[in-house]
Amino acid sequence: MKPVLFLLISFPLLSALILALIGRCLSRRTVETIACTAVVAAFVLALTAFLLSGQKVQSLTLAQWFSAGSFQVDMDIYYDPLAAIMALMVTFVSSLVHIYSVAYMRREGGYVRYFCFLNLFVFAMLVIVTAGNLVFLYLGWETVGLCSYALIGFWYEKPEAANASAKAFVVTRLGDVAFGIAIALCWINLGHLSVSGINDSAASLDSQAAGIIGFLLLLAAIGKSAQLPLAVWLPDAMAGPTPVSALIHAATMVTAGVYLLMRFFPVIQGSPLVMALIACIGVITICFGALAALVQKDIKRILAYSTISQVGYMFLAVGAGDLAGSLFHLISHAFFKSLLFLAAGCVIHALHEEQDIFRMGGLRQKLPQLFWLFLAGTAALGAFPLTSGFFSKDRILLAVFLQPQAIYKVLWTIAAMAAVITPLYAFRLFFVVFFGQPHADRSQAPAPAPVSHPSVPNLMTWALWPLAVLSLFAGFLNLPVNWAGNEWLTHYLAMLPGAARELHASPEMESTMQLGSALITIVMVIFAWIFYGSRIQPSECNDETFQKKLHTLFLNGFYLDQFYQTWIIAPYRKTAEFLWHKVDAGWVDAGLDQSARSFLTLAERLRLWTTGRVSQYVSMMVTGFTLILCSLTVTWWYLQI
Amino acid sequence: MTIPFTHILFLAILLFAMGAACAMTRKNLFMILIGVEVMLNAAGIAFVAAAMRWQDMNGQIMALFVMTVAAAEIAVALALIVCIQRRTRYTNVDHCSMLKG
Repeated sequence: MKPVLFLLISFPLLSALILALIGRCLSRRTVETIACTAVVAAFVLALTAFLLSGQKVQSLTLAQWFSAGSFQVDMDIYYDPLAAIMALMVTFVSSLVHIYSVAYMRREGGYVRYFCFLNLFVFAMLVIVTAGNLVFLYLGWETVGLCSYALIGFWYEKPEAANASAKAFVVTRLGDVAFGIAIALCWINLGHLSVSGINDSAASLDSQAAGIIGFLLLLAAIGKSAQLPLAVWLPDAMAGPTPVSALIHAATMVTAGVYLLMRFFPVIQGSPLVMALIACIGVITICFGALAALVQKDIKRILAYSTISQVGYMFLAVGAGDLAGSLFHLISHAFFKSLLFLAAGCVIHALHEEQDIFRMGGLRQKLPQLFWLFLAGTAALGAFPLTSGFFSKDRILLAVFLQPQAIYKVLWTIAAMAAVITPLYAFRLFFVVFFGQPHADRSQAPAPAPVSHPSVPNLMTWALWPLAVLSLFAGFLNLPVNWAGNEWLTHYLAMLPGAARELHASPEMESTMQLGSALITIVMVIFAWIFYGSRIQPSECNDETFQKKLHTLFLNGFYLDQFYQTWIIAPYRKTAEFLWHKVDAGWVDAGLDQSARSFLTLAERLRLWTTGRVSQYVSMMVTGFTLILCSLTVTWWYLQI
Repeated sequence: MTIPFTHILFLAILLFAMGAACAMTRKNLFMILIGVEVMLNAAGIAFVAAAMRWQDMNGQIMALFVMTVAAAEIAVALALIVCIQRRTRYTNVDHCSMLKG
């Protein structure tokens, strides 16, 4: 088992190192082969580990890392069912994204850099997933941030890409700081940093300490998972290449925050307040993302806001104590959202980098294969009955509804209402892109979007089929009992410390809720068809001021960016300028200048003593010596008396 | 008969004051040097007198030292004067004012 896990982590790292050191000397084909082979090998190893381990928990140490006094950190591995599922999902999606990237990046220059960082990302993500102690986990946590930064800024010549990468890095850093403090607090309060140790002794924490640590972990998760109030970096992160958005900003890295909360669930469970806070943040983010996604025009921004919204569901599930449901939605979301991103990449590619959905339109005939792939992803995102998203989202809503506290009933109501919006924006995107006509205002744009024969490399569409199949059928992983399923995922995770348990819902209730959500979804799809399906939809409404205002509000993501600009960035900038101009230049520098000037004046006076007349020097010397001797004599004389 | 100690000390003081006055007032380098020599010899006289007064040989030894130092000093000083004379064509000390502030 040890060699399997060791190789699982080291293959992507090895490949990244090879590409970083000698990648430029290798041919393009070799670089692509190395990168893809390493990740596919990691997937095979993850599958092997999954099959070998069963439900057993493997704890092992790969190597010593560092030690200072009694504080020792090793490269520990903690491989349990949760890590097994995550590793499987990460390596699977990464493999497909790598293969897709070969075609997507075939005309780009910096492919060595691209594949190097993509491999490094897979390594870091696997470290997060399998790390056995907090410090090792932190290593992976920071490295995925670095890779995200490097890949968002892949086209670093473009200012918006460079700004977006810096923004993503800085905003996630806020959460990382909280994570660092949480690690220190764990060490102080619990005395060890291993995952199993923390979870075993979490019960001994008093609720205040558990609350603080849980809150800090929540902050870390909010930063990484782009939840409110730190959600602003994800829509901008779409400036990176689309496969990167699919892998890092949809399937894996943004779910690392959820994974962190699941991993240390016993600590979080110690404080009901933090649990409720997680659920609240999740629900608010669901609404925020869904409403913002409803009116966006850029295809990738729609998907980005939808990612924010869907990750909110995972938070909500964690807040409701339903780890299995959270992981279930995480997995199904990873499949359908990476599918949607990759398919969107195909569309953008076929239309020569056009991203405005209202300038696409009518692609059903031109890209028939992509039409079906996109439909699979959209159906799963919109929780169309029998797709994976349907089962996972229902499971979460049911778990929230079954929580006894009153606040969870409120949260359930809001989340259920937000779930109404999800199919609307999902199918709006789908209908506008694949049906109807391209938007009419093409005259004012310099380059008309639709080309006569849009073409997509075959490799790119092939890579999507496995994802499409899984988007539709991943629901079987955790099929509810009333569908004659056996909730495999829930049972598989039963070993997990914390709340992996059955929901104990009556079958009637479960069926009623599923029926209700299925009906709502179908109605919403019909609505979407009426609004966006057949006729040309103006991208902006003209008359009603309230509607227009609401539209602008959603389009700008509730002005969250502007809020930070006004209340944090601008005051910070003002303070910095005050400190620079007034304090540094005004006081510190000026004070130094002034003292230097006074020394200069003093020196000007003193140099007058040097007259150049030797006789004067001698006189001064004689006078001086005389005075010294006289004073010595007088002193001596007094001492004698 | 022995000359009283104080008389010799007065002689030494007188010589020293005359030497110092010479060194301070004269512009000619040679005259300054002579003033310094006079001051040194005044100190030597004081040492010898002290040796006689307290019957201690250390004073005479110090007088010998003073003479040696004076010889060494005059050798260096004369060389310096030759140097200065070559550079400034004068032996006047007022021409040596390159370090004037």
